[in-house]
Amino acid sequence: MADISLLAQAIDRGDMEKAVALTRAAAASGANPKDIIAKGLQAGMASVGEKFSSGEYFLPDMLMAARALKAALEVLKPMLEKTGIPTIGRVVIGTVEGDMHDIGKNVVATFLSGNGFEVFDLGLNVPVQKFVDEVKEKKPDILGMSALLTTTMPVFSKVIKALEQGGLRSSVKVIVGGAPVTQDYANYIGADGYAHDGGRAVPECRKLLGK
Amino acid sequence: MALTPKQQILAAARGQKLDKLPFGARIDVWYNYHSAHGTLPDKYKGWSQVDILRDQGAGVEVRFFAVTREEYRDMEVVETNDPPYITTEYRTPVGTVAKKEVFDTSEGPWIKYEMEKLFKSEKDYPVIKYVMEHTGAVANFEPYYKLREEVGEDGMVMTAAGGLWSPVQRVMREIIGYEQFFYELADRPARVEEMIEAVKDLERRKLRVGIECDLEIFNICANWSDDIQTPVFRKYFIPWFQEVSEFLHARGRLVMAHTDGEMRRLNRMFRETGIDIAEAITPAPQTLVSMKEFREQLGDGATIWGGIPSILFEPMYSDADFDAYIKNMFKEMAPGYRFIVGMGDNVPFDGDINRVGRVVELIDKYGRLPIQV
Repeated sequence: MADISLLAQAIDRGDMEKAVALTRAAAASGANPKDIIAKGLQAGMASVGEKFSSGEYFLPDMLMAARALKAALEVLKPMLEKTGIPTIGRVVIGTVEGDMHDIGKNVVATFLSGNGFEVFDLGLNVPVQKFVDEVKEKKPDILGMSALLTTTMPVFSKVIKALEQGGLRSSVKVIVGGAPVTQDYANYIGADGYAHDGGRAVPECRKLLGK
Repeated sequence: MALTPKQQILAAARGQKLDKLPFGARIDVWYNYHSAHGTLPDKYKGWSQVDILRDQGAGVEVRFFAVTREEYRDMEVVETNDPPYITTEYRTPVGTVAKKEVFDTSEGPWIKYEMEKLFKSEKDYPVIKYVMEHTGAVANFEPYYKLREEVGEDGMVMTAAGGLWSPVQRVMREIIGYEQFFYELADRPARVEEMIEAVKDLERRKLRVGIECDLEIFNICANWSDDIQTPVFRKYFIPWFQEVSEFLHARGRLVMAHTDGEMRRLNRMFRETGIDIAEAITPAPQTLVSMKEFREQLGDGATIWGGIPSILFEPMYSDADFDAYIKNMFKEMAPGYRFIVGMGDNVPFDGDINRVGRVVELIDKYGRLPIQV
């Protein structure tokens, strides 16, 4: 039986070739694809997230790990066609209207999808109504919004109000983040959660879902 | 005779001791938004931002993009304007590259943002190299001089020889994009480094033209973030900063970087850059670094300009919260030399403009130097 912990290490180190080879070996040895994902790929990404938040890792470490994870998932894809990739929650995420910065949002989306969340990334400059429509259609557990500018932060409130007006607010947890955003600001606008960085977004989202 | 706000800022930037904290305030985000929406306070309708800052009693900090502009040869550059979008195509003998930007100051920001980067795939490397090698720099001094005349002795017009970013920052942020940059650096490091060198050569040409303009402070880079720049800072940023600082210092000029991002692991490396002024310093609660830590980590060789995070101007913070923050900041910065009070990096559109005047009052009361704790 392949040692899945080695796969987690390969993801943690962003070693794509090794991650693909170990995933193939684990699958060939008869390991359950869901175990390969949970104990290998997601465990590796969780480690990257912790190191990112603690300051040991940087953006390129996260990017290389995410690329390795994606390549390894491709190996498992045929085995997961019937069952799909197991998810622990559904997240709609985007950078708010008027804001053209997406790197922070992309980091959060990558960490969430690497840790078992199903992520629908709406991109940047997302209009208020688009967030509302996507919440209505996708029925996510969590709506994540990002803003890098103090000029665009107030759009969070507009989206929250639009969700209230649409009768959708109680159906979704709202988490916000971005360089100028603080926990106090998240509390002030009535968001349910706040994360300073991508690594911290994962435990915060788990907490919001009670998982 | 008392020093003017401009003289105070320059003295602090040069490390000279003053008897009171200087203040260089920046409000263009707030001003652009309210001017465009017709929502400036009644008192300030029709006023310029410089006059508003004068009325608040603050030293002025306004931005001007660059004292040179780019000029192209042996290629066709076609710009298509479809407001707020601008598409620019560079048609060269070795191929064509294009970028799409959005530019709209009505919501506050004064710079263009790339919706579509110039670099799309490996085939673009030789084309972009060609574009950089066939781009020259010409003087664009007059608009700068005009703005400087408007500001006069009441503050500073902050500008650059070539643009906001150093060569590697331009490659990372504007040409390739941060995420793709790191993939490319992992997969094709030589190509990326070749591109950085081509941009460096262009920036050297801009510096040689820009140095003829008599501006006192040159901005040489902007917008770093700890998570992004730290792993490549020593290898790709510092040598360029050292080269440019040496060039400018030899000609009696000061060097500045706009450092409004998360700086926690960049601060100590900043000491190696030769840069004189860390401008738009943004402390906690907007980042993880306190002003005391900034002072300790940046060392006594750098002048800190900033300290008031934008979010402090938001209505969620009361006047009492604001005052308490400013007073504490003064204490953390004691004795207060090599410090210019300023924004990190602006007053947001829903911020209270009268808090600029509040800072002036607080400096009068508590900002005498040396600050006694």
